[in-house]
Amino acid sequence: MMRFTQFVVDFLRAGFTGGILFWCWMLFLAFFIMLWGYGEYVQIANGMIVTNLNDQVSWGFYLANFVFMVGVAAAAVTVVFPAYVYKHKELHRIVILGEMLAIAAVVMCLLFVIAHMGRPDRLWHILPVIGIFNWPHAMLTWDVIVLSGYLLLNIIGGFYYLYKKYAGGEVNKAFYLPIVYIAIVWALSIHTVTAFLINTMPARPMWFHSMMPIKFITTAFAAGPSLIIIVFLLVRRFTPMKIADEAFDLLSQIVVWCLGIALFLTMSEIVTELYPATEHSLGLQYLMFGHNGLNSLVPYFWIALTLMVVSFVLLLIPRLRKNLTLLPFICAAAFVGIWIEKGMGLMLPGVIPTPIGEFAEYTPSHIELMVVGGVWAIGFFLLTILLKGAVAVLLGEVSYQPQTDKRPVSSEQGEAAI
Amino acid sequence: MPNQDKSKEKESRPTTRRDFLRGAGNYTVASLSGAAMLLADPKPAKANITWAEHFQKNYRLMTEEEKQEAIERLETRYSEEYGKKVTVDGTPSIEGVLFGYALNIQKCIGCRRCVKACVAENNQSRGDEQQIEWIRVLRMEKGNFSAEDRDQHGYPESFGVQVGGNAYKPAGVVLEGQHYYEPEQVPEKDAFYFPMQCMQCEKPPCVKVCPVRTTYRDPDGIVVIDYNWCIGCRMCIGACPYWARRFNWGEPNLPKEEMNPVTHYLGNRPRMKGVVEKCTYCVQRTRKGRWTACVEVCPVGARKFGNLLDPNSEIRKVLAKKKVFRLRADLNTYPKFFYFMD
Amino acid sequence: MMTSYRNHLSIMGLWLLAILSIKPSLGAGLEQTGECFESRDGMSQVDVHESAAGVVNVKCSPETGGVLWWGDPFEGTVPMGDMEVEADYWHEEAVVKPREPQIDRNKMLTICSMACHNGVYVPIPYNKDARPLKMHLDIIPDAMNLKHGKGGVWCLDCHHLVDRTKLIDNFGYSVSFNQPQKLCGKCHGQVYRAWRDGIHGKRIGMWDQGGKKRWWVCTECHNPHDVEQGDRNSGFAQLAPEPAPNLPKGMTNADHERMHHGPDKGDSTH
Repeated sequence: MMRFTQFVVDFLRAGFTGGILFWCWMLFLAFFIMLWGYGEYVQIANGMIVTNLNDQVSWGFYLANFVFMVGVAAAAVTVVFPAYVYKHKELHRIVILGEMLAIAAVVMCLLFVIAHMGRPDRLWHILPVIGIFNWPHAMLTWDVIVLSGYLLLNIIGGFYYLYKKYAGGEVNKAFYLPIVYIAIVWALSIHTVTAFLINTMPARPMWFHSMMPIKFITTAFAAGPSLIIIVFLLVRRFTPMKIADEAFDLLSQIVVWCLGIALFLTMSEIVTELYPATEHSLGLQYLMFGHNGLNSLVPYFWIALTLMVVSFVLLLIPRLRKNLTLLPFICAAAFVGIWIEKGMGLMLPGVIPTPIGEFAEYTPSHIELMVVGGVWAIGFFLLTILLKGAVAVLLGEVSYQPQTDKRPVSSEQGEAAI
Repeated sequence: MPNQDKSKEKESRPTTRRDFLRGAGNYTVASLSGAAMLLADPKPAKANITWAEHFQKNYRLMTEEEKQEAIERLETRYSEEYGKKVTVDGTPSIEGVLFGYALNIQKCIGCRRCVKACVAENNQSRGDEQQIEWIRVLRMEKGNFSAEDRDQHGYPESFGVQVGGNAYKPAGVVLEGQHYYEPEQVPEKDAFYFPMQCMQCEKPPCVKVCPVRTTYRDPDGIVVIDYNWCIGCRMCIGACPYWARRFNWGEPNLPKEEMNPVTHYLGNRPRMKGVVEKCTYCVQRTRKGRWTACVEVCPVGARKFGNLLDPNSEIRKVLAKKKVFRLRADLNTYPKFFYFMD
Repeated sequence: MMTSYRNHLSIMGLWLLAILSIKPSLGAGLEQTGECFESRDGMSQVDVHESAAGVVNVKCSPETGGVLWWGDPFEGTVPMGDMEVEADYWHEEAVVKPREPQIDRNKMLTICSMACHNGVYVPIPYNKDARPLKMHLDIIPDAMNLKHGKGGVWCLDCHHLVDRTKLIDNFGYSVSFNQPQKLCGKCHGQVYRAWRDGIHGKRIGMWDQGGKKRWWVCTECHNPHDVEQGDRNSGFAQLAPEPAPNLPKGMTNADHERMHHGPDKGDSTH
């Protein structure tokens, strides 16, 4: 037990140690986290009336980001799966970093859900035993199960591995591997269930199609690894952690194929909806072309589509894909494109028009921007700490020392870079 | 009140039909006598009320005693807040009753009196900050056919199937429903009107998606909400194909003098911020035998309401004698709100 | 209102008229809480007042003056009386709002011959042939322009020859203004049956079979002198609608919903 406490302390200490750049970054994030605190306070004090949500558009910026982040969380599997199933050596070395990313992403998901709730003070109502858990009827309860399960699997799996590394013991494969394989399948389930959450409502025809889960997964496996590539490049740049080029090569191939499939599915959806152009396609029409002068989403859709198409085409060219200076920018373009397309670009035309045909335009309020920006900041904050801690443990900079040695050797050295 | 005297021994059972009929005589007087019983106890501190309210169970699962406690807590708090005697009723479903509604869209003149009557009865939030109306009336424009349009102009939209070779301009109904129509006088010659509210579905999608089962269907067919149990996730708003549900985005604005003091726990009692609400067929009235506020106020008598299990009821006669349809029957929600024409 | 008759009035008539015509204006002056209308503006007015402690009988729309909410649905009603029908709701307690006091508010109809016609009984018309009644335009504004049955129905087809406080059916039996359905139903049988079933027209009060109900009678919704309502050809007169709902947050107008489909984007319906 002492050893474990020591692990937590050392992990955190490693996470919070760094140079001036590190602290500037943390301060930068802290500023947005403060805005989040303020935004949440205002929203809880006054109700959701401080948002620009309304009865016509009752799901908006919060849920859009939630859906997107679930995808990012699930995308950790793009590191774990090749590492364990295809025994990809390079990815295997950094698989823990993927799990850390998943943890940060799921935490963000939970914060987005809390922000979306009208009565977060009544969250306990959903807890089994003391509250009512409408399972298996309510899809949301499935989502609660898969998301919290995924968080647990990643925390247990990731930190068990790190702890063993830290304490110097052998990883118990009979315990660890099942967790890894379950987590792989589970990762698919979180995004599948999130898709089911919204595509099981015939009241919202834009969402009501069986392509939703696979589209969610392909966009997630394009956006997620895009972010992972950027994060890994930063890790490689700012820490002594060695990440081989082959890892990036594989990840960028995953991005390009998933992006390609996602674009194909988008095209299929557009043709299917717009060829007959029934009333049910009004949401998509509104997204792509606007409706009688209500055009606020139109530029976003075309920007997102352009970003996705351009990044797909660029990634198709091996010379560009393997260019690690150019790659993060292409990945950023894909990431932003998918964030728009799958976030607001999916959420808003789903609820606009309303089931009885009313159009209303929506742009997030300042409070919504503060809260969402703040949750992203919290995510990056967490990710930074987790990655730094994990890297320190993986590199053996932090390891268990007998009780007598009060100061762990590791924490101040080798961290000067960040 | 029909079942007040029996509350001790048999409140868990639905009110029987005979009890109900006996008590149904005068809704107003009954409610007033209920109000007189209020405030008999010295009022506990407000903080205690909210604390207890915060940790109460879901209404559906409360014992009779707990229900009574919850109701008394609310009566005390509301009476204090609104400066008048407020009654909170807990009348359960009446046995042998399944409520149904029918609306004659041929008669409706689009005057929106039902909308405002509903607000007056059901204590919705009002004002510019946050206006909640449970009924929405759509204006449907009648189409115009003209020879010039027959084979000129382009396609109806820049995309879409070309129907029948030359059907270029959509003929017939040329508009989506209008929500914000404001003519001087209704009905207009070139329009008809289509009111919508909660359809009290037999298979309500909103109930299915609620993660905490705060919304549920009572045996008389009314889909109700325990506002104290709602977590405000708005899944139900997403799932409702009729756009019947509204959310209290902020603290509702309900002026004291306009507040209707005759309330039901599952109906028109004042709501709090962050919870969902919707039409309950005026449960506070209808379980006492009284017609809903919208039925009573419709100046053309387009609204019919009654017991679907009673073959002599108006609603059953509408179903038997008129051509009726339900909205979005394809979704298998089985609404108990029917539309008909003469 | 009665000025055009002044030269015909006997002293007695003048005295009576003075007393009788004061009454409504006095009543209106005392009512501080206002008045609104049920279904026919001008013909179905109801005063707002407390019907029980803290409960008003009706709430009115501040915008349109229409009744918006019924506190006491049975106020001012009388039993509807026998229905002479074989229906299965005979046991119900049916009430109506009496129209007779409204019709003969000033008791002028009963004293026509005395007050207005110089003590001479009005001659009984010999036939029902339609002819203009210019002299009564003040009390029956639409007398010259009856729109009922495409000109086939004239005053005395419905109004009693002698007793002006009564209606008359096709057999010559007098019908109370409180129960015009007994007259209207003679021609409009299908509607009448639907009305008896409660699927045409309006009732308020208790929905349950056996419960007390106030029935709206024909003339509470329809104007029998102008059922066609011009080229609208509709039985119900137009009235002002209640205000539209607030626009959704962030929207400044609803122009988008007033546009037509198709190539002529931008042409509006208004």
